[in-house]
Amino acid sequence: MLKKRLIPKFLLRDGRLVKYVRFFENERIAGNPVTTAKVYNDYGVDELIVLDIVPSAASRGRVVEIIERMSEEIFMPFTVGGGVKTLDDVNMLLRAGADKVSVNSEAVRRPEFLREAARTFGDQCMTVSIDYKTIGPNHASVFIDGGREHVALDPVEWARRCEDLHCGEVLLGSIDRDGTMTGYDLDIIHEASRVLSVPLIVSGGCGSLQHAIDALEAGASAVAISSMFLFTDHSPIKLRSHLASRGLDVRSSSSSRN
Amino acid sequence: MSDVAIVDYGINNVRSVRNAVEYCGFNPVVTHDADAIANASHVILPGVGAFGDAMANIRARGIDEMLERHVREKGKPFLAVCLGMQLLAKTSEEHADDAVPHRGLGWFDADVLRLTPNDPALKIPHMGWNMVAKERSHPILANIRESNLAFYFVHSFAMRCNAPTDVVGYAQYGQPVTAIIARDNIAATQFHPEKSQDSGIELVSNFLRWNP
Repeated sequence: MLKKRLIPKFLLRDGRLVKYVRFFENERIAGNPVTTAKVYNDYGVDELIVLDIVPSAASRGRVVEIIERMSEEIFMPFTVGGGVKTLDDVNMLLRAGADKVSVNSEAVRRPEFLREAARTFGDQCMTVSIDYKTIGPNHASVFIDGGREHVALDPVEWARRCEDLHCGEVLLGSIDRDGTMTGYDLDIIHEASRVLSVPLIVSGGCGSLQHAIDALEAGASAVAISSMFLFTDHSPIKLRSHLASRGLDVRSSSSSRN
Repeated sequence: MSDVAIVDYGINNVRSVRNAVEYCGFNPVVTHDADAIANASHVILPGVGAFGDAMANIRARGIDEMLERHVREKGKPFLAVCLGMQLLAKTSEEHADDAVPHRGLGWFDADVLRLTPNDPALKIPHMGWNMVAKERSHPILANIRESNLAFYFVHSFAMRCNAPTDVVGYAQYGQPVTAIIARDNIAATQFHPEKSQDSGIELVSNFLRWNP
């Protein structure tokens, strides 16, 4: 059976690895993405997600270069996104070494784009990324354009609709919890994993080993982690062996080399 | 050192396979040139895309005949990956029209069928890290511990072999999934070793040093 996945999530701004709290507060520069990716590769993480958070023509070139360099020495799946609007964008990232391309705002603005990209490149290549925020009691809503623009969509219903549009995977991120390290939004993970048949990657809030266990037990196929790996001493190796000791089905943490 | 031929039949992305060969210390050449394949020490048939298109491209470029001569007759070490492995079967039902299956290279007595896991909660494609259980040992798996036989899969169709002795290992996904097959100088994996971290690189490295 498929293993639960541990996925570091990299946010890039002008080619630098950055991290915020709740998307906009407390910017921290977190180093060189290629060097950091190599460290995580040695730690045996299962995949990498790389998102360009302030996309432009110039930053796309830097992202392509970064992915090309990563793929020379790192042999695991990459999901890459940020500002993806056309089939050419998808193609360029796949050629650079991405295995999956993440689409966010454009899927909301032009849902048929998601369907068209899935038809052209295969469902398994298309990840839809959904950011949401709580805007009232028991009321969450989708935000696009890096959390700047509110759209009247329920995040779980929108995820379901993206599945109908043939996305291969959903990356669901809480803006409220982003960078806070206070734990994942378990209620929405329960709800989304119950209605989705594609794999669910959850993001936003992981600050302890227990948080990852909670999210996986709530139904997530994978946990995306940023702050905890960057700013605490909880490495992917430590997390993996902890998850294994608690009976979760993750990849073996030892090196394959004798 | 001779080159490693990565067979180019017009598919989009062979960058990872090329990078993996380079990482193992060998010189990859992406090619569909008969001389380049003849001169290569090892041949890799990568695979992403649809079965029917791939076979049409392979026949249009005469790659089927080149492989027949250099791999099947002359015994050059050969590794096929993912769709590349499926192309070695007799037939595939992937997107076949009017229920007439596509014809493959037919090197293995096998057919490619849609995955039909017995648990409706299991998603198609079968995508992610899964364990491979060995039916027997094989040189391409040398020095990889059984607990580390986790590899990265992405596929909706899989090979069913009629000759059980061709199968080196299966994964489980609501049904047995043929993961590695081999016979003589030919080996093939349904998963992507070039995306499977240390275990995958070890497998590629074993293959490149294999002289059956």
